[in-house]
Amino acid sequence: MSWNKVAVVGAGLIKMGELFDQSYEQMAAGAFDAAVAAVDKGFEPRQVEAAFVATQRGTLWGQEGIGGNTIPTALGLTGIPCTRIENACPSGSDAFRVGAMAVASGVHDVVLVIGVEKMRDKSSEEGLLSRAAAGHPIFTRGETAPVLFAPFATRHMYEFGTTREMLASIAVKNHYNGARDPYAHFQNEITVDDVLKSVPVCHPLHLLDCCPQTDGAAATILVSADRAREFTDAPVFVAGFGVATDHPYLHEKDSFTEIKATRLAAERAYAMAGVEPAGIDCAEVHDCFTITEILDIEDLGFVEKGRGGIASLEGETALRGRIPVNTSGGLLAKGHPIGATGVAQLTECWWQLRGEAGERQVDIRNGYALQHNAGGRGSGVSVVNILTNRAS
Amino acid sequence: MTVRLLGVGAAAPALRLAAADVGAAWGRSGRGQAAVCAPDEDMLTLGWDAATRAIAAAGIDPERVDALFWGTSRPPFAEGPSLAFLAAALGLSSAVGGALCAGSAHAGMEALAAGTDAIAAGSARLAVVVASDAVRPGPGTGFEGRCGAGAAAFVLGAEGGTAALGTRVSRTRPFLDRYRGDGEQDNRDLYDPRLFREEMFLPVVTEVVEALASFDVRAWSLPDPDGRLGATVAKRVGTHTPTSASVYAAIGDAGAATPLLGGALDMDAPGIVAIVGTGGGRTTGMLVHVDEPVPGAARVADALAEGRPVSYAEALRARGQLVPTGETIPMGVPPESAMFTRGADEMLGLLGGRCVDCGTISTPPSIHPHCINCGGPKLEPVEVARGGQVHTFVVNYTMPAPFVAPLPLAVLDMDDGARLMLQVVGDGSDVEIGRRVELVLRKYAHERGVPVYGFKARCRVGSTKDDAW
Repeated sequence: MSWNKVAVVGAGLIKMGELFDQSYEQMAAGAFDAAVAAVDKGFEPRQVEAAFVATQRGTLWGQEGIGGNTIPTALGLTGIPCTRIENACPSGSDAFRVGAMAVASGVHDVVLVIGVEKMRDKSSEEGLLSRAAAGHPIFTRGETAPVLFAPFATRHMYEFGTTREMLASIAVKNHYNGARDPYAHFQNEITVDDVLKSVPVCHPLHLLDCCPQTDGAAATILVSADRAREFTDAPVFVAGFGVATDHPYLHEKDSFTEIKATRLAAERAYAMAGVEPAGIDCAEVHDCFTITEILDIEDLGFVEKGRGGIASLEGETALRGRIPVNTSGGLLAKGHPIGATGVAQLTECWWQLRGEAGERQVDIRNGYALQHNAGGRGSGVSVVNILTNRAS
Repeated sequence: MTVRLLGVGAAAPALRLAAADVGAAWGRSGRGQAAVCAPDEDMLTLGWDAATRAIAAAGIDPERVDALFWGTSRPPFAEGPSLAFLAAALGLSSAVGGALCAGSAHAGMEALAAGTDAIAAGSARLAVVVASDAVRPGPGTGFEGRCGAGAAAFVLGAEGGTAALGTRVSRTRPFLDRYRGDGEQDNRDLYDPRLFREEMFLPVVTEVVEALASFDVRAWSLPDPDGRLGATVAKRVGTHTPTSASVYAAIGDAGAATPLLGGALDMDAPGIVAIVGTGGGRTTGMLVHVDEPVPGAARVADALAEGRPVSYAEALRARGQLVPTGETIPMGVPPESAMFTRGADEMLGLLGGRCVDCGTISTPPSIHPHCINCGGPKLEPVEVARGGQVHTFVVNYTMPAPFVAPLPLAVLDMDDGARLMLQVVGDGSDVEIGRRVELVLRKYAHERGVPVYGFKARCRVGSTKDDAW
């Protein structure tokens, strides 16, 4: 029995990429317009009672110290309550969870969850790479984003015989899917050889093992389940969610072959949704690096621990595989505008459950799609949301 | 009161630069090689390395050291807590006394004299003397190819040991030799090499060595600033090969450290060793009476031997004389800020908090009010083990300046069960899962003009035996 107290009646995003010609506010408005336009029976912007906005790196767009209040003005909704959620890479997925709880609590009937991130206004060096100098002066010095995941790759290779070809197969698959997603940052297919021969970024990860820095925005409209039919005859429900934390620093980790927070968050989400991993029809998971997707599919229970690499190489997670993963292209091809990422993944799940994913459409047998993000220095937080098209 | 020598230690930096490569850049020839600090090494990390080895060789508890005397021509803080940082990193007591001797290459002799006097006077029962330098010559100067880096450390005590400090001779004359003006970064060239040789160097050094030559000296450590003067002085005291010659050959002129290194090198056999150092208008000679091999002396040559050859350009970059255009990415935490005050002891001493309930060590204590394993609230401060092995690692190739790739980082399982993640010294080619490592003090950054120190891991080479290295 799924939770199903909240329905998603609209979802949309803007084309991801290096959007040098768009401001933070313009991206937000674009995503909101797309979500509004996607509501089957029509939606008036003024029906939004409250908004939750996910933006992780406010410092990247020069409006430091501003909370949620930029968004209502940008959307022509000045006056509504709006709260900014910042919870590392899962900011978007957590804003969605908080929005769902706000509706389920009965305080609001109609809530906008919007994720917006401007990654490319600052140069690469002043942007994400600058974190090499941030944090603890000794324990995190030199720690760019790949440093947070590459140690897992080294250890996974050591313990399970995972190879660079297995890692590469994930980048190849996600670029294949991205080439079929008009919203993806990258729309080109690549080969295993391309990945293996790309420049080393952080051993053992090379350039094409890494997601790009992407500008983007995505939005979803949540309503209470009992009002869903006012907006659509094909509502998608929030079946369940789970959030978990783990120690933030890598040296505090017990294991470098799992993301513990993901395992815990998944257990909670599956229990709430009343579904098993085998009941999931497709999943959008956090593939900031190829190794991350291997850990994800193991920790989410799609494959046995240690089999993530070989399962990927053998196509189990491909578009026509046993459990299609990252049909949108994932972070590797669609992009990773941090605050927007989770909301964009949920949009893909929404399309898949409604049969609107076009060339990327997978077989929806059980009616469940799973969305997942992990992040926060050494994957200190993980969020799993499960959507369903089943009314109960 | 007699002053006994309990142990010695030596250290040299990671890089070696051929004098011919320096000469080629300026249209000159060059002979020999010199040691150059990697970007994360300096006179403090070298001094720490040598002192750690000397303390281990002497077999003393650092907590019992009464005084630390450090001689370096160029302390890491022109004005600031240089001695305090070295003392903290060595794990000396906060009640430790001593002094920083600085300002010329004679500083090492001054530290040795001050340490000897402190023991003789009874104001210290146990003293550590450190002499270290990382000479930074002005590019294009005549002595550039010979300017090196290194460190020596002596543990002195009122009793024990296998050698004793003896006669001391000093001369002081107010002339300019190699120097830096106020605010200058690089050492200036001599005004005139012939003037230096005939009027400054030979008269004074000869006077000192002739005063010591009446003793039955077995081995001489003699100054040799240009590769020729040392032989001239040696001839005057009737010796052919001063022990210092092999120090100059291995690491060049390591300033304040050179005379003590030359002495330490020949303390593994009985007899009198004469140590002579000069600089800043001062020359001092001291005798060490060795009864039996001094602990640590047999390892001095090995400590100087290793080094990776680098190009002149890489050496200039490492010395901070070749800098990238544009602004570098600043450290997130300013070194003058409260986090460094709170974290000073735990960063320089690498402390952890051991859980009273389950024994797990959480590092560093200041961010762990509760145990990372059981959540318990009672943690007692402990010094994390200095040896361990690699659990997993990465090599980072993509970072903005001031970082220089490749930068290896490793998750380490220490011998006491603590887990750390630290940078690894070197280019990462020797790092693998399961590899034994030891922790060494290194400079993590030079931020807003302030050096920032902490421990890094170094892969152990050769022997797997758990020795003083």
